[in-house]
Amino acid sequence: MTLANDPLSPSGTSPEALIEALLAGETLLAESPNHVLQVVGVLQSYGDVLDAYSNNLIYQGEHQFLNLFPIYRYLDGRVTPGRLWKHLIHDRINFEYAEYCQKAMLWHGTGGLDAYLDSAAFLTTCERVIALKRRRDPILALLHPLFPEFIVEQIRSITTIHALGQFWRVMSDLFLDLAAAWRRGQVGSIAAVVAFIRDGLVAAAANPITYSVEVGGETIRILPPEARLTFLADVAVPYVEAVFLRGMPFLGTVSFNAQAWAIPHDQEQFRYGALFADPLPVMGAGIPPSLLMQDMFRHLPEELHDWYRSQGRGDGDVHVKICMSFQKSMFCVTNAAIAGTFPHPLDSSDPGQAEANRAYAEAWVGRLMGARLDALPACGG
Amino acid sequence: MSLPMLSILLLISFAGALALILWPGVPCPETSKRFSLVTLAAQLLWSCALLIPFDGHLAGMQLQEQASWLGSLGLDYRLGLDGLALSLVLINGILSLVAAAVSSTGTPRPRLYFALLLIISAAVNGAFLAENTLLFFLFYELELIPLWLLIAIWGGRNRAYAATKFLIFTAVSGVLILVAFLGLALASGDLDFSILPDQARQLGLGTQLALMAALVVGFGIKIPLFPFHSWLPDAHTEASTPISVLLAGVLLKLGTYGLLRFCLGLFPDAWALMSPYLAGWAAVSVLFGSLAAIAQTDMKRMVAYSSVGHMGYVLLATAAATPVSLLGALFQMIAHGLISGLMFLLVGVVYSATGTRDLTVLRGLMNPQRGLPLTGSLMVLAVMASAGIPGMAGFVAEFMIFRGSLLTFPLATLLSMVGSGLTAVYFLLLVNRVFFGRLAVTPVRPDSPTHNVLLPAVPLIHQLPAMALALVVFVVGLWPQGLADLAVGSTTALSTLPQQMALAGRPGEAAG
Repeated sequence: MTLANDPLSPSGTSPEALIEALLAGETLLAESPNHVLQVVGVLQSYGDVLDAYSNNLIYQGEHQFLNLFPIYRYLDGRVTPGRLWKHLIHDRINFEYAEYCQKAMLWHGTGGLDAYLDSAAFLTTCERVIALKRRRDPILALLHPLFPEFIVEQIRSITTIHALGQFWRVMSDLFLDLAAAWRRGQVGSIAAVVAFIRDGLVAAAANPITYSVEVGGETIRILPPEARLTFLADVAVPYVEAVFLRGMPFLGTVSFNAQAWAIPHDQEQFRYGALFADPLPVMGAGIPPSLLMQDMFRHLPEELHDWYRSQGRGDGDVHVKICMSFQKSMFCVTNAAIAGTFPHPLDSSDPGQAEANRAYAEAWVGRLMGARLDALPACGG
Repeated sequence: MSLPMLSILLLISFAGALALILWPGVPCPETSKRFSLVTLAAQLLWSCALLIPFDGHLAGMQLQEQASWLGSLGLDYRLGLDGLALSLVLINGILSLVAAAVSSTGTPRPRLYFALLLIISAAVNGAFLAENTLLFFLFYELELIPLWLLIAIWGGRNRAYAATKFLIFTAVSGVLILVAFLGLALASGDLDFSILPDQARQLGLGTQLALMAALVVGFGIKIPLFPFHSWLPDAHTEASTPISVLLAGVLLKLGTYGLLRFCLGLFPDAWALMSPYLAGWAAVSVLFGSLAAIAQTDMKRMVAYSSVGHMGYVLLATAAATPVSLLGALFQMIAHGLISGLMFLLVGVVYSATGTRDLTVLRGLMNPQRGLPLTGSLMVLAVMASAGIPGMAGFVAEFMIFRGSLLTFPLATLLSMVGSGLTAVYFLLLVNRVFFGRLAVTPVRPDSPTHNVLLPAVPLIHQLPAMALALVVFVVGLWPQGLADLAVGSTTALSTLPQQMALAGRPGEAAG
């Protein structure tokens, strides 16, 4: 079957079926050789892209702290005419997508990281930073009394940037390891892919998320170890919430009229994330997913690129196909995240624990209803 | 002896058609297409060569050729060229080539198909060049049968109905025109059948009005004007894309050419008398065509009804008969030929890619990777041109028509301007429904699942004819002086016919 006319809600993707699959430890994405090729291949290219995103976000966090005009922030501190030219002609990684994700995280603001950014401890740290910084920076010295929240919000933003860089560092390595394992023949099914990612997430779950900067010769711990922020609960889960599920409506992909309440008033109700995104509008000018698809296209493994050439319009609609594969892979990552965060072991014989697990699975499936579940069946490759 | 350039022009396509019919054995479809392309390219080149000896600022016929044929019947082989005819010969050359270029080699009976295409092109040229009313009528009728066959054999599902309707309407049109020509000769007692304004002046005004009415209705059917238009949407709907291009781009122009050349040219006094009513008719036709277009759900029918509206401008301009309005009428013929030809090409691309032209079904074809983005972009250009956006051919034509007609018929002109505004309404509806939004080729309902549509890619080479037409639309829009220089002598002479006649004496005096 070709990629054409994939139905959105084919049979087998009813809520009950998804809940049962999660509780049985089965995968949401159907098993098929093409699915494995797509998921592993696209995650490999995503891993390459995330590597660049991560390096850049961490660079920004460390070297662009409270720089109000960070015009060279995408150049990782290596500003040369050649790199500048490549940047201008877009012969580069589109770091704008990373910023889009960061802004989504900051705006939706869920989980432990966001809670800490609103805490008294964080505000105290900010006051210290501002006091040190305004001695040497007249613009900040002028701005802060006029707009007391402005600098604090800037610090929140750069903190999220750094935290996302740390998160993607782990994810990039995980996805590249997955591709290497697939090439070694250690991963050959969707179930194995999900298990690999789940194990990687679980292994990194307790990794501390910290952030320090040097201001005026003094090292300031913006996210100190005492805050006990960890990889999975405080960054990964908010990231999934903000980027996979909620997202942001943007012109070109979703037709909306905010004044007519076409966008939910409550941002918790947003359903514009990666799992809900429509692959067809991809490559509209200036649309964030288009930038990511272009970045992944430049890093596609040859096996997957060959397969794409044999499907649909070949290279002509390759970004749409990458987006569809990316959506499949994101379902696998979500699947792994759910599998790794069940409150109790799935094989528990305790009825209370089983009930809690079921409630957890139902809550997740409820969130996934309306997502692009047409990505799950094996039809369309 | 000078080179008979006009006869050679006619000979190229007629001889090409004959050669194709007599081709030894059965030529493969590609050979038939290639041969007709070469023939039509030669015809276009020769049409362009006519520009060399032609002087656009001269009023009368040029490059005239004459041979006695059936003198006793008054049927002489007399050809001539003025700016009006040359412009239309050029557009015929361009659109005939485009029609052949976009014709599929998978067409059944390709030899017959391409031969008929060549005959139509040559016959239309003959009609534009004829300097004898009977000769004009012969060529006018000559294109009728091939076109009927092209619709009846290679048309859509209801082709028999549409072709028969087309045949009946245009046959009536032909009969009325023939009656008028014969009536003119019989009433004036002169079997010359030359196109002479003096001839009609020998008749009483009542006779002139009756004969002109027959001609106006005859050509009104061909144009078509409301209420004689109903054959056109059916013919377009059932005709294949190349035939629609020819029909809209060239064949309708026979009607508007007839208005200028024969109605205004032969009966200037009667025309001047009836012109307020004709202007009113034009406004009604414009508004009817535009409002009917808004109500259509088939892309082809919408473009067809837009033709009814846009051809109304030509009647308005011809009714006003000022130098500017008549030049505008010619511009409108050329602009409409190019723009509607372009639109039918694009609708054809949409239909072949999606299998439908239904405005309630098609959505989002502008999708950059899985839709038809180039087709959509060209359609936006065509829509802008048709709605009269400056910089494109439609603007120049409409501006000149409105500017030239406003002082003569202010109310009719203002109502026609409303029609121009309505053009933007219905074509933006078309563009919005078909090309914007999420890609879909099934009815969109809130409760139905969406599909990831994959349309076949249209190779760039298949889009070249449409791109070429779009380019010409810009050239005419940005450099109208080129076309104006060709035709200004002829249209100015036509506009001053009533004054010339007045100077020559009042109607009926010669007879009296």
